[in-house]
Amino acid sequence: MHGGDLVAPVAMVAALAAVVLLAGLVRRRSLAIPWSVLLTAAAYVIGREGSSVVDGGAAIVGALLLLSAELATWSIEHDARIEPEPRLVAWRAGVIGALVACALLVNFLLLGAAAVSASTGLVVAAAGVVAAVAAVAIVLRLLRAT
Amino acid sequence: MTRAATPKLAAYASLSAVGLLTALVFARPEVVALTTPFLLALAAGLALATPPRFTVEVALDDNRALEGDELPARVDLHATTPVDRLDLYLRLPRGVRLADGLNPTELRLAAGERRTLELTLLAAHWGGHVLGPVYLRAFDPLGFLTWESRVEARQELRVYPREDALRRALSPRETQLSSGDEVSRRKGEGIEFADLRRFAAGDPVRRINWRASARRGDLWVSESHPERNTDVILFVDAFAEARRGGEGTLDLAARATAAIADAYVGRRDRVGLISFGGILRWLAPGLGTAQLYRVVDALLDTQIVLSYHWKEIDVIPRRTLPPNALVIALSPLLDPRSVGALLDLRARGHDLAVVDVSPMPFTTRPEAGLDAIAYDIWALRRNALRHTLQRSGVAVAEWRAGSRLQPVLEEVRAFRRNARLARV
Repeated sequence: MHGGDLVAPVAMVAALAAVVLLAGLVRRRSLAIPWSVLLTAAAYVIGREGSSVVDGGAAIVGALLLLSAELATWSIEHDARIEPEPRLVAWRAGVIGALVACALLVNFLLLGAAAVSASTGLVVAAAGVVAAVAAVAIVLRLLRAT
Repeated sequence: MTRAATPKLAAYASLSAVGLLTALVFARPEVVALTTPFLLALAAGLALATPPRFTVEVALDDNRALEGDELPARVDLHATTPVDRLDLYLRLPRGVRLADGLNPTELRLAAGERRTLELTLLAAHWGGHVLGPVYLRAFDPLGFLTWESRVEARQELRVYPREDALRRALSPRETQLSSGDEVSRRKGEGIEFADLRRFAAGDPVRRINWRASARRGDLWVSESHPERNTDVILFVDAFAEARRGGEGTLDLAARATAAIADAYVGRRDRVGLISFGGILRWLAPGLGTAQLYRVVDALLDTQIVLSYHWKEIDVIPRRTLPPNALVIALSPLLDPRSVGALLDLRARGHDLAVVDVSPMPFTTRPEAGLDAIAYDIWALRRNALRHTLQRSGVAVAEWRAGSRLQPVLEEVRAFRRNARLARV
């Protein structure tokens, strides 16, 4: 398939993702968030169909997907009756920002590694991701304990 | 503390699993890049999730307040572990509202931090209230896990009705033997002039009325009325009430009872209370401010309890209804049992006055049709009931919400002054 042929299906799936997310936000259904993320990711993958080059933009797309999921969760969880402290709002925004920045960094490292050592295969790359994530988790846990 | 996973945990875990599997199946590193942020968030969130440990205490500066008062309350929190997000809700009873402060609120506590939430509560309605429980929900930093708990605060708050100040209370037909402010109908040692009579052996010389004696050529003495106290029994009908919104006839009756009790206690009279309803409560007559507080405290516990049991005044302890006591009943005249009890009291010779706490303002007359006719019949029956009581020599005056109590008592006073039993 040519790139031009994919525009319509990509646009359709992306629009569906947006509708699902919007409906979830309006009706306050958190179940809509993973479906919307899945559809957006599917639209991205469909758009990349036929390309053999590793796309560096996937790192940003992944981080943006996380950002949208976090913000959507925040919006759905938000209860107007519960008055949050102003500093809690700032702290929560900071946590999301830090998480997205960290995810962006890990993604760039991952895609860089995949581009350099594409021959090692995807299983090894996935294992590397899991190891990196686990390392981050252990560090956070240790920091929390202290 | 109950731990639970949020829907976000399942969503992120599913996304991570599906993403990695898709990446392996289609052999695309970009899909791994799309998945990694969610996997990272999941791992970080679970790594940072530690069960929160904290204590919560609710404190009130004062456990007693008048209706309409604002009173400060504090919620003291002490965290021994970091609490990244804590939803806190102090349940307020009906009758107590939040005037200022954050409730429910969401906050963050560092390990070892002590925090005091200042709340201003409005005592909106009289009664005995219990604050709490405090509902708490803590989240891990990324909101994958929650810990919920409930802390029983058990802070009691007694809100006293804000009563009218009465300028003049009802005078009973008979007084008691102790000194007080009520001029007795009997003759004896006192200040108020009563009558003149001929001097008799044993009369003190200082009681000789020299002017009258000089005019009549014989010794005459002045007689006077002694100042005595009275026994007043406040009879609150708690069988039934008419209520609309936050106000009902029982609320009015409670406020009126507090006002009347205050007026009589100020005159050094003995005041007692009978709450006649599904649950019978009574308070033997007593003197002084302490008795006023006892009466009001007993009033706070008065509530409508549904009961089909037919009660007569025999169930009231004898010492609660002393002879010659003035019984002031506050009743919406809705339940035949309380009306029967009032007629019975009158038949037994008690000095009785009834303040009819009108349920009419709490009802709406239907526009038309059978409902409107039924409403009119009900209103006419209430009038007939009042006339039945008046024919028995009981002073009855209707008191409607929004009007002052003093004119109603004056109406009762006027009836008692002028009414005579008809002899047929």
